[in-house]
Amino acid sequence: MLKDPKEYVNGVLNKDRLLLARTITLIESTLPTHQALAKEIVNQLLPHTGSSVRLGITGVPGAGKSTYIESFGNMLTEMGHRIAVLAIDPSSTRSGGSILGDKTRMEKLAVNQDAFIRPSPSSGTLGGVGRKTRETMLVCEAAGYDVVIVETVGVGQSETTVASMVDFFLVLMIAGAGDELQGIKKGVLEVADAIVINKADGDNITRAEVARKEYETALHMLMPASPNWTVPVLTCSSIENRGIDRIWETVLAHKTALTKTGEMAEKRKTQALDWMSFLLEEGLHQWFYTDSQVTGSLPRLRQETADGLISPAAAADCLLDHLKNR
Amino acid sequence: MSEHPNLQQWKDLASKQMKGKPVDALDWMTPEGIRVKPLYTAEDLENLDANTLPGMAPYMRGPMATMYAGRPWTVRQYAGFSTAKESNAFYHKALAAGQKGLSVAFDLATHRGYDSDHPRVSGDIGKAGVAIDSVEDMKILFDGIPLDKMSVSMTMNGAVIPILAGYIVAAEEQGVSHEQLSGTIQNDILKEYLTRNTYIYPPGPSMRIISDIMSFCSKNMPRYNTISISGYHMMEAGANSVLQTAFTLADGIEYVKAALKSGMDVDTFAPRLSFFFGIGMNFFMDIAMLRAARFLWHRSMSQFDPKNPKSSMLRTHCQTSGWSLTEQDPYNNVIRTTLEAITAVLGGTQSLHTNSFDEAIGLPTDFSARIARNTQIVVQEESQICHVIDPLGGSYYVESLTNSIIEEAQKIIDEIEELGGMAKAIESGMPKMRIEESAARKQARIDQGLDVIVGVNKYKLTDEKIDFDVREVPSSVRDEQVSRLKEIKETRDSDAVKKALADLTSAAQNDGNLLEAALPAVRARATLGEISDAMESVFGRFVATTRCISGAYSSEFSSNDDTIKSLKKRTADFLEKQGRRPRLLVTKMGQDGHDRGFKVVASAYADLGFDVDISPMFQTPEEAAKMAIENDVHVVGASSLAAGHKTLIPSLIDELGKIGGDDIIVVAGGVIPPGDYDFLFKAGVKAVFGPGTPITDSADKTMTLLEEKYL
Ligand code: B12
Ligand SMILES: Nc1nc2c(ncn2[C@@H]2O[C@H](COP(=O)(O)OP(=O)(O)OP(=O)(O)O)[C@@H](O)[C@H]2O)c(=O)[nH]1
Ligand SMILES: [Mg+2]
Repeated sequence: MLKDPKEYVNGVLNKDRLLLARTITLIESTLPTHQALAKEIVNQLLPHTGSSVRLGITGVPGAGKSTYIESFGNMLTEMGHRIAVLAIDPSSTRSGGSILGDKTRMEKLAVNQDAFIRPSPSSGTLGGVGRKTRETMLVCEAAGYDVVIVETVGVGQSETTVASMVDFFLVLMIAGAGDELQGIKKGVLEVADAIVINKADGDNITRAEVARKEYETALHMLMPASPNWTVPVLTCSSIENRGIDRIWETVLAHKTALTKTGEMAEKRKTQALDWMSFLLEEGLHQWFYTDSQVTGSLPRLRQETADGLISPAAAADCLLDHLKNR
Repeated sequence: MSEHPNLQQWKDLASKQMKGKPVDALDWMTPEGIRVKPLYTAEDLENLDANTLPGMAPYMRGPMATMYAGRPWTVRQYAGFSTAKESNAFYHKALAAGQKGLSVAFDLATHRGYDSDHPRVSGDIGKAGVAIDSVEDMKILFDGIPLDKMSVSMTMNGAVIPILAGYIVAAEEQGVSHEQLSGTIQNDILKEYLTRNTYIYPPGPSMRIISDIMSFCSKNMPRYNTISISGYHMMEAGANSVLQTAFTLADGIEYVKAALKSGMDVDTFAPRLSFFFGIGMNFFMDIAMLRAARFLWHRSMSQFDPKNPKSSMLRTHCQTSGWSLTEQDPYNNVIRTTLEAITAVLGGTQSLHTNSFDEAIGLPTDFSARIARNTQIVVQEESQICHVIDPLGGSYYVESLTNSIIEEAQKIIDEIEELGGMAKAIESGMPKMRIEESAARKQARIDQGLDVIVGVNKYKLTDEKIDFDVREVPSSVRDEQVSRLKEIKETRDSDAVKKALADLTSAAQNDGNLLEAALPAVRARATLGEISDAMESVFGRFVATTRCISGAYSSEFSSNDDTIKSLKKRTADFLEKQGRRPRLLVTKMGQDGHDRGFKVVASAYADLGFDVDISPMFQTPEEAAKMAIENDVHVVGASSLAAGHKTLIPSLIDELGKIGGDDIIVVAGGVIPPGDYDFLFKAGVKAVFGPGTPITDSADKTMTLLEEKYL
């Protein structure tokens, strides 16, 4: 049922929803044939990518990411943008299956003709979140989406991966009890371009304001990641649509500031190089561990190392020699 | 009193009969988590105050002093379908045949505040209840029914303002004044967010609407029950009897607090609060549940210090469980309903609805409605049950069980109190998750045959056939409604309508009484949709947060259950050969708010290794198709329970085709009469899974379709 790469490429360029969706499926597939085809398609689409605003959004489960994207996204399409949302859903069950329910919280955006939302299970994909999301993002850009949003849950390590592929990384928080950072790792704050306290509505407004001040103080202690940007802490209510426009202004201000100084171009360049290194390492890793000579002697060398018959360094050299001699 | 002198001797005897096993091996753990013993004795009553009297606090034995000995419960059958004219004719027949009060079922468009010509409701008109667009329809609905004499119950929650106002104006035009009206409006919005899904506005404004109605009626309609606090829907969604009791009373407490906050005195409104419980197949449990609920309500109300005893007296309507009724071997349903009716009566209900045996197939026909009605009339008039009040009072078992429910429910009520009350608890998602978990576990137990349902998982018929008529509401009802709407809009004074609607909007903005403000609009022939919109423009429309539990279904199976293992292996094999897991979109189209099956299926399929996308509720076919394409699913499964299947599912297939998704497999599930299967197959549906289909069977069939196509 696979088509010629050209068909997918043309489909994506013609903004065909179906072919865009099926291209993403190929990218996400674990089958080598699918991946080869996907690589070919992405390669051909590459000249048409790069022009969107790439946004990452993270936050603890229930912080309101999906609800935020619902109100943010609808605002953007009203302003004339076309937006793509890639939602990485962590809700895998023990069986490996998952329930993908993000669109139930993006009810209007889900049916908005200027929006494309793709929830993806985070499990069972080769290369993890990184590979598929990055390539999916490129494909969406080629399909003319000028704002691409990646939603990811702020637990585990997916969020730093996402931060390394977007222009702007937004961390969504809620006013929690006390001043602890709600289980969000410090590392996440270090890569944030803005922190937003969501759910600033009803009897929560003052608490949100208090939390805002706390995060501001916490951020003062951190080294700024960019000389051209001070990370702001904002509040918003996704349900009441308040403060959402301010956040878009912030994204644009960030873009202007970094573009003017050349930092944005530099950032994307670094991201591309990092991505290349990542792929290289991944490829080497895979190549090494699937090599028949390696798989042939690895178990024995492991055993001998464990039994103290050979030193770890000698064992490693022995394995690497298989490849050196090629 | 202490242990019965011969108890040890009995234990030995019992143990001997059980070939040496200890007698507590016979203990049964109920789904509520209550341990039930095989024998209760006087010592079980020791610390209980069972020796109370009916009509007196704490009302455990009944709210009225004479109960059925004085006057039996009211036979009140819930009904409504098609046009007002058709429903009116049905009511007249029912009243002639022994029914005592009316209970109106509205269609889903009406429930959700849409006129029949709204594009989102094209598949819903008249299908699951009667279609009402304006007071003209209301007048036809009650034609020939004297509203000063007949007590009318109306199940309406979302569009409660236009409907209640419509009823009041229809009465006015019959020459009946406000204070003569008697009956009940359901008006219980909290459980809509929880299980019934016919909300319109967000919780804040919805709670205000309830207070407005209570305040208007306490002044003008003293014989009218302003709310029916309902646990029935929770039970039908999966709640066990303790959950039903706790959540219902917690809802009640929340309403009382809201009314007090709006400045009313507790004794002005609390006597007009009524309740609605669902009665399932667990015979003694639900007898005990009603007794426990009355006790708990009295205890809960005491915190508000009422002076009028009626303020803490729980009066309730009951309905037998529709969920317990099967599509398979459906005459068995008469037996189930009879048992449940007796449960409700022994529990001391004030009025009762008994279900029809064709419950899992369609809306009742004249024939099935007659049997349903007679089920309780026979109990009432032939069985001699009515002569004695609370005949199970003092029963060691029933009193002990009553006490267990009181204790267990109180724990949950306290937990909710800690979360800040029921509105906050609902926001947190806790009650809904508990109910859904309970539903998923129940499904798993049935699918394994652990919980027996005759005709479904035991003593199955080999040749099921339907030898009775099934009600089908024709889609021409929509045309009729639409043309009447057109006529009304052409003949009314449109300036007067505009002004009345503007006044209503301004009342919404400025804290005016919304029921009072809606009356002039109804008199001027504003439509239900217009009145709803006038308020929606201020309040907005509520969007539900859908969450789905996971793991509950599969955890009820033992880890080496072969059926589950083999299904998991097939989804894993599919992943290996296709590069991803089988991906299924489960969707609900139209205004059908039945989400129990939708959630159970989604959750269980994920447990079996599918990637399951769930759509928001209330989709149009076009919206569902867009989602299927974007998410690039292999299968779309439409869950349809409210008779929209013949319109909505073919239309979904159409929409999929239009955007290139004609290779996506479409399956359907829900209440679909067997006679419609061929129609759906011809339209391109690949499989239909009716009520009672074990999830393991539908998953097997779905996997087979996928394997045939892809592997
Ligand atoms: C439970 C129930 C309710 C609950 C719903 C709670 C909830 N949150 O879901 C409550 C009490 C709230 C309710 C209310 C109403 N109900 Co009701 N309800 C039922 C009842 C009794 C059981 C449905 C159920 O949940 N069964 C259990 C689940 C697990 O089964 P299921 O959904 O059928 O799913 C199974 C299969 O069908 C299949 N399946 C289903 N979908 C899918 C999808 C896929 C992909 C797959 C693979 C399989 C599959 O697999 C499942 C497992 O076996 C049915 C009658 C009956 N016995 O079926 C009436 C019924 C559906 N209700 C009915 C009506 C009219 C209403 C109301 C509209 C009444 C009114 N006018 O106010 C209201 C409004 C509800 C609304 N918003 O839509 C009618 C519909 C009439 C018709 N089709 O012609 C029915 C048939 C009863 C009747 N005969 O009158 N209801
Ligand atoms: N009061 C209030 N509630 C909000 C707001 N934003 C989201 N919520 C609620 O918070 C809950 C969680 O929102 P989601 O958007 O599902 O959160 P999420 O971060 O995407 O959650 P996951 O995808 O499960 O990680 C829902 O009940 C929302 O209605 C807000 O601004 N104000
Ligand atoms: Mg989310």
